[in-house]
Amino acid sequence: MFSSLWVAKTGLDAQQTRMDVVSNNLANANTTAFKSSRASFQDLIYQNVRQPGGQTTEQTQAPTGLMLGTGVRVVGTEKMFTQGNIQTTGNALDVAIQGRGFLQVTMPDGSVAYTRDGALKPDQNGQLVTSTGYPLDPAIVLPPGTQTVTIGNDGTVSVTVPGQVPPQVIGTLQLADFVNPAGLQPNGDNLYLETAASGAPQIGQPGLNGLGTLAQNSLEASNVNVVEQMVDMIETQRTYEMNSKAISAADSMLQFLTNKT
Amino acid sequence: MDRSIYVAMTGATQMMRAQTEVAHNLANANTVGFKAQMSAFQPLQVLGDGMPSRINGVAQGTGWDMRSGPQTDTGNSLDVAVQGQGWLAVQAPDGSEAYTRAGQLQLTPDGVLTDARGNPVMGDGGPITIPQSSQIMIGNDGTVSAVPMGQGPDTLSVVGKLKLVNPQADQLQPGNDGLMHLADGGTAAADETVQVKSGAIEMSNVNPSQTLVQMIQLSRQYELQVKAIRTADDNAQSASRLLQVS
Repeated sequence: MFSSLWVAKTGLDAQQTRMDVVSNNLANANTTAFKSSRASFQDLIYQNVRQPGGQTTEQTQAPTGLMLGTGVRVVGTEKMFTQGNIQTTGNALDVAIQGRGFLQVTMPDGSVAYTRDGALKPDQNGQLVTSTGYPLDPAIVLPPGTQTVTIGNDGTVSVTVPGQVPPQVIGTLQLADFVNPAGLQPNGDNLYLETAASGAPQIGQPGLNGLGTLAQNSLEASNVNVVEQMVDMIETQRTYEMNSKAISAADSMLQFLTNKT
Repeated sequence: MDRSIYVAMTGATQMMRAQTEVAHNLANANTVGFKAQMSAFQPLQVLGDGMPSRINGVAQGTGWDMRSGPQTDTGNSLDVAVQGQGWLAVQAPDGSEAYTRAGQLQLTPDGVLTDARGNPVMGDGGPITIPQSSQIMIGNDGTVSAVPMGQGPDTLSVVGKLKLVNPQADQLQPGNDGLMHLADGGTAAADETVQVKSGAIEMSNVNPSQTLVQMIQLSRQYELQVKAIRTADDNAQSASRLLQVS
């Protein structure tokens, strides 16, 4: 009936989605290793009311036509994998990844998920697990009676146990990297899953071949820039208001039509 | 019968069309690289018997507002903003070359560099494919360099160059895919002087206050047209009353 109503509706929809993304970012401003998302928009197809370049006479052409746009849509929400701040915690089992790469964890169904949240804990068997309790892959098991744990920049885990003077190496943490980390599927619990868009994981030792290094006693904070998110929120809200204004203008035009004729 | 009622109706219809365009511009007030659409009313004489006294107003697109939008820093190395004049070349879905300023570039799993819509970005010789890399950098002149996956930063090498063009504004014509095409269907030559900035994007160039004023103006003009329909109707009624034989 009146396409501007529908066009403005697409604007409301898109801004609402953007607001969801912004509020999720703000809600996770303090989540360890959280990566912020952004919504990207694109304009929808155009309806060709009058073809540009149509002949106006035998010799002349219309320089422009009339193309009516049909609105906007959210084309995707993209994770921004910029580095978060490194915060020193003093906890020997906290590791932050400086640079590229993800720790691998084994999911309950046996599949592998990826995370940058390095807040590790030993479970009842001494095996290192994430905050959710999923074991690391490759598995690292602390021997009973472990006194100190040292995690090197290259992922080497060494421990000291009573009665043994030299520290012993019990394993190495490995990192997985993806060609297109933005294509990973966020799965909640700070975990990401491999998708066709991310490419296959390239596993290697931290610090080698372009992979990031590990920093013990530290955690990576979320990379949410709160100021930027607040500005985004204001911008979203105002654009939403403008689009609702367009709906009320279209509505009052229709109202006027029905009342005055 | 008098045609003024039709003239007023045409006016009202065209106002509705123009309002759709305003709504489209407002809906895209946050779309990266969006260029506001413009239109103007064109007089079109109503031909026929009698004195030529009636003129229809018909909305005619006058192209797109080609001004640059404001730029925002994003810090994402795959975001590029064209500085000043110029366009990024991409391959449109129909295979032809088209131009855009929406520089939110992305990578497909096969390493093809695309724009946010998934159109491959053109380089010197066709679409740019980036070998599996851990780091990608885009220079001011559009040079794309990458560190191969699993290698150290000392192995940085050039993998392609974005095709940046700067055709005359009157040669460009918007397609209904939202991309710009050359009016003659050809391809523009690369222009070495066009600069891009990586880590930034160009926002929409919609001017919200101007667009809102335009919206109010169109609403009021629409009301005027509806009033004119009403007046034409009243006139016709009085005329038929005068002619009534009773």
